[in-house]
Amino acid sequence: MSMLCETLKEDFLALAPLALVDTDYKAKGYQLDITVAPAQVVEAATIMNRRGYTLEAVTGVDWLASAGPKPAKKAAPAEGEEEPVEAPGAPVAEQMEVVYDYTNTGQELCRVVVRCRIPRANPELPTVSGVFSGANWHERETHDFFGIRFLGHPDLSPLLLPEDADFHPLLKDFRV
Amino acid sequence: MSGYFCELYSGTKSLFVGLGITFRYMLKPVVTLQYPHESLPMSARFRGHIELIGDEETGAPKCVVCGMCQKGCPSNCISLAGEKPEGGKGKVLTSYILDFTKCSLCGQCVESCKFGAIRFSKDYNLAGPRKEAYIFDLLKRLEEKGR
Amino acid sequence: MNEPDCNPNQETFVINLGPQHPATHGVLRVKLTMDGEYIVHAEPVLGYIHRMHEKMGENRTWAQFLPNTARLDYLGALSYNHGYVQVVERAAGIEVPERAEYIRVITVELNRIASHLLWYGAFVLDLGGFTPLLYAFDDREHVLDLLESVTGARLTFCYFRFGGVYNDIDEPFITGTRAFIKRLRSRLPDYHNLVTKNIIMIKRLKEVGPISAEMCRRYGATGPVLRGSGVCYDVRKNEPYSVYPELDFDIPVYSECDSMARYMVRMDEIDQCLRIIEQALDKLPDGPVMAEKAPKIIKPPVGDYYGAVEAARGTFGIRVVSDGTNTPYRMKLRSPTFSNLSLFGEASRGMLLADALALMGSLDLVIPEIDR
Repeated sequence: MSMLCETLKEDFLALAPLALVDTDYKAKGYQLDITVAPAQVVEAATIMNRRGYTLEAVTGVDWLASAGPKPAKKAAPAEGEEEPVEAPGAPVAEQMEVVYDYTNTGQELCRVVVRCRIPRANPELPTVSGVFSGANWHERETHDFFGIRFLGHPDLSPLLLPEDADFHPLLKDFRV
Repeated sequence: MSGYFCELYSGTKSLFVGLGITFRYMLKPVVTLQYPHESLPMSARFRGHIELIGDEETGAPKCVVCGMCQKGCPSNCISLAGEKPEGGKGKVLTSYILDFTKCSLCGQCVESCKFGAIRFSKDYNLAGPRKEAYIFDLLKRLEEKGR
Repeated sequence: MNEPDCNPNQETFVINLGPQHPATHGVLRVKLTMDGEYIVHAEPVLGYIHRMHEKMGENRTWAQFLPNTARLDYLGALSYNHGYVQVVERAAGIEVPERAEYIRVITVELNRIASHLLWYGAFVLDLGGFTPLLYAFDDREHVLDLLESVTGARLTFCYFRFGGVYNDIDEPFITGTRAFIKRLRSRLPDYHNLVTKNIIMIKRLKEVGPISAEMCRRYGATGPVLRGSGVCYDVRKNEPYSVYPELDFDIPVYSECDSMARYMVRMDEIDQCLRIIEQALDKLPDGPVMAEKAPKIIKPPVGDYYGAVEAARGTFGIRVVSDGTNTPYRMKLRSPTFSNLSLFGEASRGMLLADALALMGSLDLVIPEIDR
């Protein structure tokens, strides 16, 4: 675990995220996996911006029927210990996940994934395009594909889809 | 002022250096070919559309109609049918249609064939007036080849 | 909006650059609000060649998606192949034989050279110079012949497989590649004499289209665009994968931030690619080119996985989500030029139209990859 990752962890613990997991880079391809509440995504982006990070991509995942993979546990609960109770904000079905991939261009490598779950029926969360200009297009694309509304975004008109598109092709109940 | 002339000199020189290269290459042999009068040899692994391989002795297709190529194809370009002859064992291929309009020449079919019954052809001069010209009946092609 | 002072009545007009314009290299449309010759506002309009590769990924098996990766960036298809097989190998825990990794590096770098050569020709063509294109295509043809002899394709390569490569390289390929390295090394000085030192090129590229490192960071720009802004970031060095750590090569970085810097980064990269290929050929070990234990049907364990590679245009990232079945649950393709182009609007503000085209050319756009 590099110094940078430790600093970031401290930064994020101050934010009180829903979950913060060290992941095995070799197995997963990233070092820190952070789940935040929808209201915290801008603050998370601000932290990343302060640490000189760049936003590589924003995307969504539609969890229509299942809750999706459980985040890896830090350590298996020792015998006799009770299974940890599901924390509030734990993934359930009928949700959408928004994933922000952050990376830094410095010499130290620490890829960070910030996730956020929002209800499928009302997919809304604040935009981070005020922090990272590049998020503008990524969020527009995510809105195209999933119908997720980024509140405060300057222009959510279709980017890759036709300009009159009223469908969201990456939703799991969208039939080709 | 001297900077201006300096730049004028170096700029003009750079243009002549470029022209010199062009002149040098003008005297070199031509690298292009007059296609279609001449053409380069095909590389051995060239991936044209797929074709059936016939048995060396009988000329009948080696295909046993297992359908693995059809299953492996990402674009559903292959449709094949076979029937079981009475008294014979195994299926005999009756039709093998390749919809080349959708094929991306990925080779999943060739790789998934355990019987070595299909391969890439070296056919690249393909042109047709209609879409239907690219629905290939590979069985017929194999028969025509055998003749 | 910062309007130049010479226009008191705020009169502007809108022109469309593209979607059918030679300088946009494909079907990109840029809506330009102009004040005379100066750009007030530029808005790229995307999606003309959008094919929804990400949805296609959810509808086919892991192996069936392989040919799709070659159709994103058709000029550097093998990098995308590499990125995809790598992330699936990571997910499924497949070990790749060393020889296969070396072959991957050799072919990917050859592909990178081909891509940069085409960019070189097309870029100079954008600026009005036709001849260099012919030199570049002559050399590129040799690369394509080499790649065709191993992969069977000239453009949309689909050569890598989960656990290795489709088939082994042979002796003619190795000797051919060595001959090509020699050839290109003797030709590169001509390239520089023809273009780099040419006064017209210098006048059109020097101090044109400044993109600061900070702007790159805000927009997530990577690749030669970032390295032309003085940031030494290359996935091959910063996040080493494959056998790159065993090879000795430099990352060209120029800190002028202008179009010339981005041009120089790519030209120097061709040189570094040759170095990489040469070393990889020397070190090429014997052995299998396909992992023996590679399963026929891939079913990665549940979870999400990320992988990034350095493609010819920047960081190609791919995020796959597996639900444990033989089809991906989600496939996110992060294409480098999408981010690189997103800064065009800001970077081109207040520029002359002709200079903006130089800037656009120096971003090295491949539209099918932006639109996916």
